[in-house]
Amino acid sequence: MMMPSSSQRRRQQANLVLFLGPALVLLALFFVAPVIVDIAIAFTDMGRNLKPTGFTTENVERMLTGDRRLGGVLATTAIYVLATLLVFNTGFALVLALTTTAMPPRAGAFFRAVWLLPRMSPSVVYALLWGWAISPTPSGLINQFLALFGLPPFDFQNQAPMTLVVVANGFIGASMGMIILTSAIRAIPQHLFHAARVDGAGGLAVVRHVILPAIRWPLSFITVYQALSLLVSFEYIWLITDGGPFYDTTVYSLYVYKRAFENGQYAYGAALALGLVVIGIAAALLLWRFMDMRSLLQRPRIEVH
Amino acid sequence: MADVALPAAAAPADHWAAMAARSRRRRQWTTIFLYGFLAVASLPVIVPYLWLFTLAFSARGGTDTAVLWRALLVLGPALLAFAMLGHSIDEPRRLRHALLVLLLVTVAALAVVIGPQLHLANWRFLWNPDFSDALKTGPTGVGSQFPNVWVAFGNSLALALAVTAIVVTVSTLAGYYLSRFAFPGRAGFLKSLLVLHAFPAMTLIIPIFFLMHWAGLLDSILGVVLVVCTLELPFAIFIMKGFFDAVPWDIEMSAMTDGASRRQAFLHVVLPQVKFGMLAIGIFAFLRGWEDYVFVRTLLIDKQNWVMSLYLFYVAEDVMGVDYGIVTAVGVLYVLPALVLYTFTQKYLTQMTVGGIKG
Repeated sequence: MMMPSSSQRRRQQANLVLFLGPALVLLALFFVAPVIVDIAIAFTDMGRNLKPTGFTTENVERMLTGDRRLGGVLATTAIYVLATLLVFNTGFALVLALTTTAMPPRAGAFFRAVWLLPRMSPSVVYALLWGWAISPTPSGLINQFLALFGLPPFDFQNQAPMTLVVVANGFIGASMGMIILTSAIRAIPQHLFHAARVDGAGGLAVVRHVILPAIRWPLSFITVYQALSLLVSFEYIWLITDGGPFYDTTVYSLYVYKRAFENGQYAYGAALALGLVVIGIAAALLLWRFMDMRSLLQRPRIEVH
Repeated sequence: MADVALPAAAAPADHWAAMAARSRRRRQWTTIFLYGFLAVASLPVIVPYLWLFTLAFSARGGTDTAVLWRALLVLGPALLAFAMLGHSIDEPRRLRHALLVLLLVTVAALAVVIGPQLHLANWRFLWNPDFSDALKTGPTGVGSQFPNVWVAFGNSLALALAVTAIVVTVSTLAGYYLSRFAFPGRAGFLKSLLVLHAFPAMTLIIPIFFLMHWAGLLDSILGVVLVVCTLELPFAIFIMKGFFDAVPWDIEMSAMTDGASRRQAFLHVVLPQVKFGMLAIGIFAFLRGWEDYVFVRTLLIDKQNWVMSLYLFYVAEDVMGVDYGIVTAVGVLYVLPALVLYTFTQKYLTQMTVGGIKG
């Protein structure tokens, strides 16, 4: 390798600025800076007037010892994340991937497109649909269905709010796992299926001994990734139940948001958000294990700038 | 080996035929079971969307859903017939004809069953922005002071297009650099980008609010554009890097042997190779900008800055449960561009592998 001359080095730097510069600036301003700002705000007494007057560790202390609401919120979060993850984001996603790959390709694609609908529609529209489905009046979808069997109207929003948010989020969450698992199942060499069939395996045995071992990595990737996104996303809960009734469906991330933007306790909200930031970084590092680092870091082969 | 096969060959032919028939029947039953299961499981997804579309064109100030059920009575059998035709006819020409007939029958049946109920009155907000007559003006609600719907639609479009343009440009440049250039700290940069990709940006909304406040970008669409763009970037850069990685080195080498500079080779030779990647991230970016709710709700205040998500949210809040007609019409106006875009580009989107997971 030659030592680069000074004009070559200038060119190299110009290329760096030209190609990578815009991305670096945006990421630094809106991704890295917010993390630092969040840490800084967490140790101030910033309130509704948006003017910090001094540094304090009060917020962190309050978070660790003084917030009586927090225990309940954490329990709600755990139930919500685990239930949605197990039932829909991995469980039902796997069922959808298995069934749609087992039928003729075009029919499978149709059903997958149906299950992608919720993800592709804007969140407000999706929440609007749920608003009708669970409407406590006799005109709501579920109540019309119940009326078919002579059952009285049911008020989901007040009587089964947790089920409601789990199902509403699960319908969206199932599609990501479905897509990744479908392509993973497609990537299994066909001769393995033929071999298993020749050996006398039935449909379920094929699933158990051919498909499941082959999709182990994608499945664990989805589990971690979706656990993380369930933990931090509150958009649909906010729109559908608004965390209610009372605090019954207020998950941690929604609690953080409400503390800051509804109660005006920005500093306390920032301190609470630190918890999510720490979990987020930890989970992101965990996700590394699932990435194929060698192909990611493959070295470039042309040295000319 | 041959003498092992002998007893099988000696078995009576009708025995084999019976086994084959049994296995075919079992396969058929499995397929029917799968269809049935998926159809029933998908109903809770399909019916609400059908509700949205039928009500927007048929509701008359109430919450009546008779039109929806009648439409479903027609569309259900039509879908079933569609699936069965696809299975039973193999020849493409005959299949096309049969499907055309089915389509005509379905449309005719719909026209008879729900045609008389359809009307456009729910869409009056399109040409008459002051549609307050339809909205109850509550003591606490935003009341009837809605901005013109076209202002919100235009804002949404501007937001989504700006996000698309910035994401595609920035991530294409960065993806190319990361794929093709060696520079000090490349491995470290890629690794931290991977962390950012998995890192949940929603947790940063409080500090982002302050940054916008200090930068004077609060209550400005530009601010939302920059935030949404940046949060999309790690994902988009990885996708683009993957597409660039798949372009053979040779075409770049030969372009440069022919006297092109590195930048010329990028623009004229490599870029055309990754246009589907750019299309895919462009569509994702557009949908992301179009559907955003949390950031616009937090960072935008003035009514003239409302986007469609806020418009629909406040209309729904005002009249929900009383008059679904206008709410569903606004919903259709909002969701339709996203659905149309998704339907027509689906084949590019689903081809994209979510790169780099170990196999």
